Amino acid sequence: MVYYLILCKSLTHAQRTALALERSGIPAHLQRAPRQITNRGCSHCVKISERSLTAALTALQRAGLAPTRLFITEGDGSYREVSL
Amino acid sequence: MIFLDSGATTLQKPRAVAEAVKNAILTAASPGRGSYPASARGADLVFHCRETAAELFHLPNPEQVVLTSSATHSLNIAIRSLARTGGRAVISGFEHNAVTRTLASVPGLTVDVAHGTLFHPEQLLKNFEKLLPGADFAVCCHVSNVFGYILPVQDISELCRAYHVPLIVDASQSAGVLPLDFVQLNAAFLAMPGHKGLYGPQGTGLLLCHEKAPAIPFMTGGTGSSSLEQQMPDFLPDRLEAGTHNVPGAAGLTAGMRFVMDKTPQTIGNHEKKLRKMLALQLAQNPNLEVYESPDPQLQTGVLSFRSKSQDPEEVGQKLGEKGICVRSGYHCAPLAHESAGTIETGTIRVSFSAFNHEKHVESLVKAIRTI
Repeated sequence: MVYYLILCKSLTHAQRTALALERSGIPAHLQRAPRQITNRGCSHCVKISERSLTAALTALQRAGLAPTRLFITEGDGSYREVSL
Repeated sequence: MIFLDSGATTLQKPRAVAEAVKNAILTAASPGRGSYPASARGADLVFHCRETAAELFHLPNPEQVVLTSSATHSLNIAIRSLARTGGRAVISGFEHNAVTRTLASVPGLTVDVAHGTLFHPEQLLKNFEKLLPGADFAVCCHVSNVFGYILPVQDISELCRAYHVPLIVDASQSAGVLPLDFVQLNAAFLAMPGHKGLYGPQGTGLLLCHEKAPAIPFMTGGTGSSSLEQQMPDFLPDRLEAGTHNVPGAAGLTAGMRFVMDKTPQTIGNHEKKLRKMLALQLAQNPNLEVYESPDPQLQTGVLSFRSKSQDPEEVGQKLGEKGICVRSGYHCAPLAHESAGTIETGTIRVSFSAFNHEKHVESLVKAIRTI
């Protein structure tokens, strides 16, 4: 399944991001970030489905939480950064 | 037992506070440290605490809410973030040792006191205005912990803005009993305990940080974020929150703040003021007592200090304690406030109310004072 990961600067920021999405009716799952998408060590990200992306970006923009880094899954289990 | 020392801590808490602490102890692990449900539960409880504080104090962003262990901890972070060797701070004449000792620990920092007698806000404002130009920062308590004197912090904040001086407000005695709007106040930092007017457990505190305020970590260590870097994260709240969170404390504090929000700070504050007025009226009839009440009721919260002309405050406090009435006596960790009010020779006996006190408590105290 293809999904996106929104990389967040902190756990609190990730919680705010997930909450803003849920309040907009967009399913979002907060999780620890895979090592491949961050070089700073432990981080958190929010997982959303491929079809939710456009609505998610709109909702986050509206909430003042526009993401700075976004990743998409590749078929081999790796992640590729998507330019925003 | 009649508890009248809520200026130190509110001993009587809403039942929901104890239940929240218990549930957190039984179910929550450390936030951000794992992918398992107990860690997520801990993260949710801490986030909920930040969100609730942001709602109560009108902060736009819960990331600006830093969880601390006390108001003293919060003040240490705030002062150390703004103080520099060779710098200058301006404070009111009613500050607590949490402020004055912390300032005294900064090498080469000059501290100017904006003096003003008790319940004279205009005098205080004039003296602040004289001292603010060129200062690095200012610190002012919202309410004197000794006298319940409500200082004009909004006016002081506006003066600080005019002179480009960052302000730290100590809301130890006002959070939960006076309305507080962080955006309107426009302070660099707002420090408060969680265990007084917010009815949380002891060992909790909050520091609300302006988004532009510099934040220098008071403690360094693990944050569960940016772990490969040896500097503390450059973002809030992680930058100021090293080590494991007090998750049960945060859960209890959330329940306490919910209690305050349900009743409203204004209602709680008015209830306490009413009791203070009733007490002051009774004590003023006793010629052996000096009672420190403001002629303007708008300038005082539900805290009242008095002293006896014939007995030491410690003696009075001891005798009341023996009768099951809990008050605080002495200097209340605020010698500067006693200097300003002219009570430095003796200290005072302080009565401080909470939402759980009622008129019968006042009557019992008055009766007990007559017999000692």
